[in-house]
Amino acid sequence: MNRRHALRHIALISGGLALIPSCDFSSDDILAAYQKLKVKSSEKELLGAISNTIIPAGEIKGALELAVPDFILVMVNDCMEEESQSRFMKGLRAFPEFAGKEFDQLSPKEKEAKVKEGLMLEGDDTEEGKVKQDIQYFLNTTKRLTIQGYMASEYIQTEIIPYSLIPGEYNGAVLISDFQKPRING
Amino acid sequence: MANLNIKSKQERTYQAIVIGSGISGGWAAKELCDLGVKTLMLERGRNVEHIKDYPTTNMLPYEFEHRGQVPEDIKKENPVVSRCYAFREDAIHFFVKDTEHPYVQEKPFDWIRGYQVGGKSLLWARQVQRWSDFDFEGPARDGFAVDWPIRYKDLAPWYSHVEKFAGVSGNRDGLDTLPDGEFLPGYELNVMEKYFQEQLKKHYGGDRHMISARCAHIHGNADFFAQQGRALCQNRNLCQRGCPFGGYFSSNSSTIPWALKTGNLTLRPEAVVHSIIYDEEKGKASGVRIIDRLTKEMEEFYADVIFLNAAALNSNLILMNSTSSRFPNGLGNDNGLLGKYVAFHNYRAGVSGEFEGLEEYTTTGGRPTSGYFPRFRNVYKQETDFLRGYAAGFSAGRGVRPNTEGLGMDLKNSLLNPDQYGPWYVGSHMMGETIPKESNYVALDPNLKDEWGMPQLKISVEYDDNDEKMVKDYLEQMTEMFEKAGVTNIRTRDDHRAPGLDIHEMGGVRMGKDPKTSLLNAHHQLHAVPNVYVTDGASMTSTSTQNPSLTYMAFAARAAHHAVAESKK
Repeated sequence: MNRRHALRHIALISGGLALIPSCDFSSDDILAAYQKLKVKSSEKELLGAISNTIIPAGEIKGALELAVPDFILVMVNDCMEEESQSRFMKGLRAFPEFAGKEFDQLSPKEKEAKVKEGLMLEGDDTEEGKVKQDIQYFLNTTKRLTIQGYMASEYIQTEIIPYSLIPGEYNGAVLISDFQKPRING
Repeated sequence: MANLNIKSKQERTYQAIVIGSGISGGWAAKELCDLGVKTLMLERGRNVEHIKDYPTTNMLPYEFEHRGQVPEDIKKENPVVSRCYAFREDAIHFFVKDTEHPYVQEKPFDWIRGYQVGGKSLLWARQVQRWSDFDFEGPARDGFAVDWPIRYKDLAPWYSHVEKFAGVSGNRDGLDTLPDGEFLPGYELNVMEKYFQEQLKKHYGGDRHMISARCAHIHGNADFFAQQGRALCQNRNLCQRGCPFGGYFSSNSSTIPWALKTGNLTLRPEAVVHSIIYDEEKGKASGVRIIDRLTKEMEEFYADVIFLNAAALNSNLILMNSTSSRFPNGLGNDNGLLGKYVAFHNYRAGVSGEFEGLEEYTTTGGRPTSGYFPRFRNVYKQETDFLRGYAAGFSAGRGVRPNTEGLGMDLKNSLLNPDQYGPWYVGSHMMGETIPKESNYVALDPNLKDEWGMPQLKISVEYDDNDEKMVKDYLEQMTEMFEKAGVTNIRTRDDHRAPGLDIHEMGGVRMGKDPKTSLLNAHHQLHAVPNVYVTDGASMTSTSTQNPSLTYMAFAARAAHHAVAESKK
């Protein structure tokens, strides 16, 4: 094992925390940080593209910029039962074929349409039907975790909708009409 | 016991030893130290210093890797503690893991424990309702267990004593079933809860009440609590992490630092109590034998008086493991009843629903408590086909939710601008009295030991027919009250949870008047070994329906003063 190879190995095991200049990831390694999922870096990229379709960047940052794909993989790896993990990964792996061509080459509108279609997929007990169910499960899980990871991110909770550790004295009868919150445009 | 001579016996001798640093041990130690008694407090777990050892207390939601959720591997390894509502990512470090401290479930029992300085006082739900004579007179009137050797008037001044120091918020509700106490300003019910209160009055006259539950949170009189280094509750609702303000009462924030300040307290964490030593010649207890949690070495400490506050079931275990030729079946166990008549609170059932009215209102801010139904069944006379009754928690709330339909910019904008107010959510859960029975017991397993060589506790506790009837009645009555108040979409649940998950296990070393049928007298002394006091949940003769911690605090303070008065005789 040469030095570059060894360093890359360490970086993968430590969850990609170490930064190695001009590191070549093109060989599509399995990411050691999510050891139960055996997810490849190309699959993580696809997950990133999907989560960024669910919550895209605009005036306010989108899911990808907030490292939501990492959060999704941590949650699936650590907080889900084996069966759900396996459905999630099957769905993720079946998604490219469902998407038709390279998902990344679709226009934003086409991406949205494809994800929307996938979220509603229904499948029967045939092999083909099961794949549809897996894709539907994968996309709904991804959507739920994207929303969670996005809204509970440091960026949103400090810069956009600041979280208060001290919520203030209780008022049990507040008129909703008295609230005048400025609209936040994403 | 090769190491007994490392320190001289004199160095290991105190006037009093308190076993346990949780809510009742903390109170025993504080009172003893205030009265000038040199006290050793033994705690089996690690030290947890106020503020310094609350690692998650000021963490923000995004700082938790799993946003509060407990990882699947931990859940799988620890199924019992994982069922506890407070076992979340922010408090994992304060709970006993199943794998570290095994016990034997002869029948399913979820034993939830906190082995550290402060014990479960860091984790409790902080609800503090007084008992009344309708509770103390229960066993005598309804013919179960044995008569309590005390009445409300014996405990009332001690309730006052502990409430003033601990800080209890509440309204003066004037109910004979739930006596008023020394209250800081109470928390208000919200508009929906007040509406429900009016509906109860309308449909049930003065027979049923729903009040703002009294809670051990500082909600006023800040200068007084500043003497303890505590401040007003900030409504954070992150209590299970330990409170940096000392806004709620715990041993860590209140009684232990107070006792340390007197100079009379020695705190000895990492001390797994093996047994209480009985001196056959003097005919009394002379000290406590411990196993160091880390080195596994045995050590002995000596004192004139011993307070046993290891938490209900562990206090049973220690007494059962304290054998001598005088007490071959456990300390003070002349009648063979030690470990028997264990009971708990039945938390199986709940009712929830929605209310479509009051749609112009919502709530803001936070509060550390909610509504409470004092027991209304079988209070003045027997009126149902089951004995005793239930209290109930009650709360209503309304949140604003984002619309999570859609994708892309539409979804993003609705997430950032939540504007969907649903109907009011209304919920309740039961807290039923269970009847102590000889067949509900704990015992030492004859073969299995833990890592420290202590016998494992065998727990054999289950529901009975009375509990089943009570669940049914609660569901019927609460549903009826919800319906009469106009609540819709009513859902009932009976989750059939195992006993123990209520974390209100009690008894096994019950109080009573007669040494033939009880272990402790009216002052919490073992009948047969009067210099041993048991003032935690183990001493409970019956359970009634109130959250029990306040009563243990009053027991401990009262008994500590008794012990000091006795020593001066």
